[in-house]
Amino acid sequence: MGSGDGGEPMVVARGLGKTYRVATHRGGALGALRGLVDRSGRDVRAVDGVSFTVDRGEMVGYVGPNGAGKSTTIKMLTGILVPSDGEATVDGLVPWRQRKALAARIGVVFGQRSQLWWDLALVESLDLLRHVYRVPKDRFAINLAGLRDLLDLDPFLATPVRQLSLGQRMRGDLAAALLHDPAILYLDEPTIGLDVVAKARVREMLARLNRERGVTVLLTTHDLADVEHLCRRMIVIDRGRLLFDGAIDELRRRFGPHRTLVIDLEDGDPAPAAGPFCPGVDWVRADGPRRWLRFDRDAVPAADLIAAVAARHRVRDLTIEEPAIEDIVRRIYTEGMGTP
Amino acid sequence: MAPTESPPLPPIAGEEGLGGVGGLTTPVRLYLAVAQRSFRRHLAYRAATLAGLFTNAVFGVLIASVFTALYRSRATEGGGERIAGFDVAEMLVFVWVGQSLIMVLHLWGWWDVAQAVRSGDIVSDLMKPFDFYAYWLSRDLGRAACHVLVRFVPTMALGMLLTDLALPRSPLRWVAFAVSVLLGLLVAFAFRFMVNVSAFWLLDVRGVGYLAYSAVNFLSGFLIPLTFFPPWLRGIAEALPFRAMVMLPAEILLAKRPVAAALGVQLLWAVALTLLARAVLNRAIRKLTVQGG
Amino acid sequence: MTRETALWRRLIGARARGQVAYPVSFLLQLFSTSLLFFVELAVVALMFRQVDRLGGWRLAEVAFLYGLSAVAIGVALCLGSGLVAFPDQIRQGGFDQVLTRPASAFVQVLAADLRLDRLGRVLNGLIVFGYALVVLDVEWTAGRLLYLPVVVVSAAVVFGALFVLEATLCFWTTQGLEVVNAFTFGGATLSQYPLHLFDGWLRRLFLFAIPVGLVIYAPSLYLLDKHDPLGLPGWLRFTAPLVSALFAAVAGSLWRVGVRHYRSTGS
Repeated sequence: MGSGDGGEPMVVARGLGKTYRVATHRGGALGALRGLVDRSGRDVRAVDGVSFTVDRGEMVGYVGPNGAGKSTTIKMLTGILVPSDGEATVDGLVPWRQRKALAARIGVVFGQRSQLWWDLALVESLDLLRHVYRVPKDRFAINLAGLRDLLDLDPFLATPVRQLSLGQRMRGDLAAALLHDPAILYLDEPTIGLDVVAKARVREMLARLNRERGVTVLLTTHDLADVEHLCRRMIVIDRGRLLFDGAIDELRRRFGPHRTLVIDLEDGDPAPAAGPFCPGVDWVRADGPRRWLRFDRDAVPAADLIAAVAARHRVRDLTIEEPAIEDIVRRIYTEGMGTP
Repeated sequence: MAPTESPPLPPIAGEEGLGGVGGLTTPVRLYLAVAQRSFRRHLAYRAATLAGLFTNAVFGVLIASVFTALYRSRATEGGGERIAGFDVAEMLVFVWVGQSLIMVLHLWGWWDVAQAVRSGDIVSDLMKPFDFYAYWLSRDLGRAACHVLVRFVPTMALGMLLTDLALPRSPLRWVAFAVSVLLGLLVAFAFRFMVNVSAFWLLDVRGVGYLAYSAVNFLSGFLIPLTFFPPWLRGIAEALPFRAMVMLPAEILLAKRPVAAALGVQLLWAVALTLLARAVLNRAIRKLTVQGG
Repeated sequence: MTRETALWRRLIGARARGQVAYPVSFLLQLFSTSLLFFVELAVVALMFRQVDRLGGWRLAEVAFLYGLSAVAIGVALCLGSGLVAFPDQIRQGGFDQVLTRPASAFVQVLAADLRLDRLGRVLNGLIVFGYALVVLDVEWTAGRLLYLPVVVVSAAVVFGALFVLEATLCFWTTQGLEVVNAFTFGGATLSQYPLHLFDGWLRRLFLFAIPVGLVIYAPSLYLLDKHDPLGLPGWLRFTAPLVSALFAAVAGSLWRVGVRHYRSTGS
């Protein structure tokens, strides 16, 4: 879909950095006026030497807590912001130098802010964007037909945007971002504010989009469930620095070595609430007849453990829980990378 | 003759204004607390205040220049020193009193209650255990007190600095003026409140509002003293409550009228409009309860 | 350039269509909006009940200034609605969105809003202007007839450029923007009167820093064949298009500086 060489990565960032100058706070209006002239202040390193690549067709989650530098990175990769240092190309273009050329090849969805015209019907909004992006008429017709099907737009295509539900609006915004066949789609909080059903719907559509159309997606979100559902790979950033870049399974293995076996016991079974079960396995929690056994994924094979538990206790039911990505990432933020 | 849009202030959420004072039992103390809070909040908008003062200064000098030119032109045409009952020094007082009172009376662009109606917040506000009208009036009085301090006084000072403004010295007259401004504020608030409450019936309250505020600008004497009006128009203006906002306070300050009579007229209008505004509010509430909004 | 203009027309058109969907109610709205501004004119008329001439100008001549100024600022306010709404757009992150699209950022900002009801001011100005033209006994030479529309456009451009400057300020600060009202609406009000009524810093401000006086008062001296008590050089009466082009160019350059600043700081 992109115009660049199919072999080269879609996104290349090398040592990308952004330093903001934050005016030292002055109280009141006089301070604000002085701030106009006097630009002294302290430097804040919002993004600090971030390097990564995104291959064509990949769907990557770019996550971090508020103020971690996520949106600053995205702004640099969309050409909105000029970085202080480092290099980057997107589909072979340097974003901040070739902003308009790049803009024709990228799609951007801000979950917090629709790019549709509030008072116009969705289809009219899309038609206006056709002119903004200079999409040829026949191409537009083909793309719109495809998007109507993929995003199920027909029920509200003629509805004014202000009357759409949040989920419908998001689907409309996705259509708006895809009309011009972008090579890469930046999604910023695409499920924010959506209810569970709408969230699932949007996720499913995003997955299809990536799978069937091969659109490269860079997904920024604070809802890690989005990433868990959609991405195989994840980049974690905090305080401007890249903390992790790799497969989500890998993240689990490195930072969440413990899995949990959840057991429902028959009445009267004397399993303890806490304490060792065997080397590498501990009782960690109890709630009525339910017990939690934590075990090391590398040291203890799950099948062996289940057999051992079943041999000693009367088990009615059991499940294995993977550590929630959310917990792992929170641990990374608070404890740092350490040595796994 | 006036900046068409005054600096917008951030909307104040209903509960924010009351947080922490809900436990008070006597209503007077509640309203006092509301007013205090409102006073302090408006004190904090320092950038907006400075910007507003600058605008007042520009417009004050501008309008003062036009009136001064009017007196000069009149002199070259061989006319008398007084125009419409004012000499040029009195006219300058009139101009700067008008500029200084803009924010105290909040002559333009007050939509807080209309916004509460639009957003539906009004429903929960109406259920709270206080008088809705008194609550908003307290807030407005607190705001006005703040604006006397940060807008009225500095604008008058700017007038003296930038033009030949000479203010009356008699302390008694200033006391009468203060009472008159307070009564004018009660009239102005009641009127603004009614414009806002019309949001219950009107889809576009601002359209009507601008027309209403525009009429106030003209009929209150803010744009030009009512004594400039031809007799028929002056008759209409004097039969309406708007002159209680600017014209009567200015005339009291300039000793153009018996104080007691002028204050009496203002008091009458303040009571009448307050009752009317409350009646309109009650109609609105009835509409709300009957139709469910 | 032409492509961007076409895009601007299309974006504006989409916004306009909804507003004139009900022509009768739209016209009524325009008319009632125009009424708003007649009180300002009434003030002028009331002054002229006291004098025949204000600073040597008759009512019809002042009405001419008033009409010119009202039409110019009305057009600028309507077509510049997007600029007036820019503080909100930038605060809500809308400008980021603008920068991710392959079209001129300025055109997109300009077309981000359109308030046709602001044409009420234009209507008001046109009515007053019409009155002035009928009452005035000016000899309408070819030169005056040709220059008049140029002056109207120049004045609208200057007010438009003021709104560009106001929007540009948002790239640096969101605080204290109301200061600009003193320049825009102050300029609009001031230009409704002969400039020589004002003196000192006020006159210099609106003559040389914000050239409202150069595009309304100075050309009107020629159009109305008036004596100039300020003694400005005679050729200044004919510089309206040049002055407005220069002022617009300055505003445009500052806008670009602002965009560059925004793209290096992101706030």
